[in-house]
Amino acid sequence: MTTNLWWLSVPVIICLFLLLRVLNNKTTHGVSKALSNPVCWAILIIAALLVTLDLPYAPFAEHSKILSWLLEPAIVALALPLYQQFVHVRRNLLLIVISCSLGVINATVVASLICYFFAAPAELSASLASLSVTTPITLIVTDALGGIPSLAAAMVIFIGVLGGIFGNLIFSLLNIRNAQAKGVAIGTACHAIGTASLITEEAKAGAFASVAMALSALLSAIIVPLLYPVLQHALV
Amino acid sequence: MKYLFSSAIILACLAVAKYLSLLLNSSFPAPLLAMVMLLLLLLTGVVKEHQLKPTASPLLNYMPLFFIPAGVGIVEHLGLIGQHWSLLLTVFIIVPLSSVLLIGGVIAYFKGRENDD
Repeated sequence: MTTNLWWLSVPVIICLFLLLRVLNNKTTHGVSKALSNPVCWAILIIAALLVTLDLPYAPFAEHSKILSWLLEPAIVALALPLYQQFVHVRRNLLLIVISCSLGVINATVVASLICYFFAAPAELSASLASLSVTTPITLIVTDALGGIPSLAAAMVIFIGVLGGIFGNLIFSLLNIRNAQAKGVAIGTACHAIGTASLITEEAKAGAFASVAMALSALLSAIIVPLLYPVLQHALV
Repeated sequence: MKYLFSSAIILACLAVAKYLSLLLNSSFPAPLLAMVMLLLLLLTGVVKEHQLKPTASPLLNYMPLFFIPAGVGIVEHLGLIGQHWSLLLTVFIIVPLSSVLLIGGVIAYFKGRENDD
């Protein structure tokens, strides 16, 4: 197809995302907040448009480069919420840092073991090594590990939605009502989408989730690129 | 001016990090190194929160826009996903579930299952 489809990239992404975000902001229940996540739907809708119109991805990526380019400065800017959260939780910092690290390490080890049992190709296991972290960090870490960033991002987003739907159910099954336990678990394992959902249900747990999410971004950035090669070496 | 200054801080961190990873030939992702550097600058008080906010806040607020294009890249791997759907489904359920159980369990062990304050 020779038509220039620039309109399908930046304008569609911006309009669609802002519209979906307005709708998402109207939800008041944790589960509906997770299910109506704007990032998840924007990606699904645009992917469906490309597939149904039989359009290749490369020109789309080329036209939306201006947006992708801003991802790197935005990741640097993540230092700000990280700093703000650090100041908040000095009192509980040690326990939170330890449990966040455990969560991040657990996610990488469990995913690598599952990939080992399924005899997954290296490209795939690299794509699943960094799932316990917010999407932008996953993209960068997965790229560095030689995985498929978009696949890792999709997994992370769907895990977030899953956490937003079932998080509270799991805690009530386990009889855990401690806001710190709930928040740190969801923030580490289910990052932004799970956290947004938890905030609407229980503000105090949501605050801990925000801390854990920021911290797992930092910890993943440090731990996963070091841990993954070691695991690959041990498992082969 | 404040926008220019806060942009300069962010871009300077990114540039130094990129230079260092090229210099050391490291596979550690430069944007993450830059994030850690900026965090240290904030913690040591070299950079102040209000100096960073003008650019950092809008960047953070619209961050999802910047990774939607990369996420759409999933359309190039539909074949691979179809081929390995059972693996992906297993990881999708077991990884977050095991992490939530582990973290929730550890904190509940130290802090108790009920709210402590």
